[in-house]
Amino acid sequence: MTFASLAARNILRNKLRTFLTVMGVGIAVMTFLLLRTVISAWTAAADFAAKDRVVTRHKVTFVMQLPKRYIDKIRQMPDIKSATWANWFGAKDPKNDREFFATFAIDPSSYFEVYDEIDIPADQLAAFKADKSGVIVGDVLAKKMGWQVGQDLTLESGIYPAPDGTEWKFTIQGIYTTSARSVDRSTLFLQWDYMNDSLPEVRRDQIGWVVSRVGDASKTADRGLAIDKVFDDEDTQTLSQDERTFNTSFLAGFSSVLNAIDLVSVVILVIMTLVMGNTIAMGVRERTSEYGTMRAIGFMPKHIVFFVLGESIVLGALGGAVGVLLGYPFIERGLGRWIEENLGGFFPYFRVPPGWAVVAFFLAMLLGLLAALLPARQAAKIKVTDALRRVV
Amino acid sequence: MTVTDDSIIRLRGVTKEFVRGGERLRVLQSLDLDVKRATFQALMGPSGSGKSTLLNLMAGLDRPTSGSIEIDGKRIDQMSEGQLAAWRANSVGFVFQSYNLLPVLTAVENVELPLLLTPVAANERRRRAQTALRVVGLDDRMDHYPRQLSGGQEQRVSIARAIVTDPLLIVADEPTGDLDRTSADEILTLLETLNENMGKTIIMVTHDPAAAERAGVTLHLDKGRLKE
Ligand SMILES: Nc1ncnc2c1ncn2[C@@H]1O[C@H](COP(=O)(O)OP(=O)(O)OP(=O)(O)O)[C@@H](O)[C@H]1O
Ligand SMILES: [Mg+2]
Repeated sequence: MTFASLAARNILRNKLRTFLTVMGVGIAVMTFLLLRTVISAWTAAADFAAKDRVVTRHKVTFVMQLPKRYIDKIRQMPDIKSATWANWFGAKDPKNDREFFATFAIDPSSYFEVYDEIDIPADQLAAFKADKSGVIVGDVLAKKMGWQVGQDLTLESGIYPAPDGTEWKFTIQGIYTTSARSVDRSTLFLQWDYMNDSLPEVRRDQIGWVVSRVGDASKTADRGLAIDKVFDDEDTQTLSQDERTFNTSFLAGFSSVLNAIDLVSVVILVIMTLVMGNTIAMGVRERTSEYGTMRAIGFMPKHIVFFVLGESIVLGALGGAVGVLLGYPFIERGLGRWIEENLGGFFPYFRVPPGWAVVAFFLAMLLGLLAALLPARQAAKIKVTDALRRVV
Repeated sequence: MTVTDDSIIRLRGVTKEFVRGGERLRVLQSLDLDVKRATFQALMGPSGSGKSTLLNLMAGLDRPTSGSIEIDGKRIDQMSEGQLAAWRANSVGFVFQSYNLLPVLTAVENVELPLLLTPVAANERRRRAQTALRVVGLDDRMDHYPRQLSGGQEQRVSIARAIVTDPLLIVADEPTGDLDRTSADEILTLLETLNENMGKTIIMVTHDPAAAERAGVTLHLDKGRLKE
């Protein structure tokens, strides 16, 4: 028998209580991991952004638009390899208006040059370019909506009225896929010209934003500043950001939600610590006379502290292991794949952020230690004679 | 440090007071006591007379309010908490009324417990614990847990635990208080044997006159003073 085996015996002593505590900690760790994954997935699109792309939008807000001629000016600037533009079209399927998906009006000849990580079969791309009312949709979206190439679509836009005043009619000309984590696989692309030509004269030739590719990825920020400088004296000024910053500022709208999730993940850890603290405190109280006996025999307060802290750290480690061993496969295999398939618009990449499984495990251990500090102090402080008197 | 007679315990002017709710309670009144080496002494007295308090002082579990306690030439009243704990581990064996075995450990592991504090190697610890259990006649119960033992057997395990470190002194606070006559007699016989064959000095608190008779000397404590 050793100190360690004595500590281990105490953990196995009240099996039901230990089991319940370990499961409680395990579920807390699992939930913590899930919330961290949500936060990381939400910002993943920003993290995986291309480093050589600059997004230029209206200086005030990206809801306001830019004159179309800006694209020509940008294309003439040094070190701009290519540039394209897009508008947020804001369409929905009227038969299925609960399903959200992004719809962009784009320039078919330049958009997929700038976003070359989007893969479209060459014949489908050609068909899209040739058909003014053609659209290309993401494979995930197509699967979810049951759409096929060649199928006709009727959509409503909350922003742009349809040419005949009712609904927009499209034909699906292609389905895109991508292996890039940054690209949403649930977007619908339509031809910007089709949209623009059907607008009243006053609303024509306005573009949502410009995306440019620069030659030297290390100078992306400088190129952005150069672009903004060009439009400084115009009526409409611009704000250019590298893609990552742009995505982040787009996400900033959700920052309060993210902060709330962040907070909840911390609250869960606090509750978990209290649960462990309670279990340990109960155990210490029950064992007062045993600690008294050990102290009489010659064990020191430091030994008692070792037993109490050791027990709690092991509880935390067990709970952490349960949480990670259940949570990791659950998120990575089950839930995460389902979310990517079904909620790809929000979470194109839903995976446990690297390292966080390890972090969660060690956090559980560390909080186990923290939870036991007070009970351990109490156990160490008991007077031997008092503890022994309690026996009878 | 020179001990002129063969006293192992020497108390001089020992007073113990407890403060309870702002009130001072004097439990022991300037006691003088000499306990001879290798004697078996019973300590009797009415409930609340301070027997346990006195025993705790002699065992180094508590310190007197005033007076000196010398055990085998060492002034334990002047030791720090840490020194006292180390001294107890080496010099005192404890036997409690309710045995105080750790329920999660088997008989032999309970006996091994005090040896964890010594530099003795693991297999030697086990060997010594087995020997001690043999002395108390429990070689066939080594791997039983306390809940699988009778009260008398539990008390014998606790005696084995008290002797495994080969202490100078064994203190027993009502060791037969929870036992029936037969088991009590077995325990008392065992204590007698330890005293006679192994030369252990034993101080035993008891309410039972029959138990006290087995000891060579009986001390009477009343209202904080020793009589006879
Ligand atoms: N830690 C303490 N704090 C306050 N009072 C105490 C404390 N320990 C003992 N006393 C008091 O000291 C007196 C003597 O107690 P002690 O336990 O020594 O008596 P005892 O002779 O062993 O009695 P019993 O035969 O019932 O075990 C009692 O009045 C008790 O209430
Ligand atoms: Mg008593």
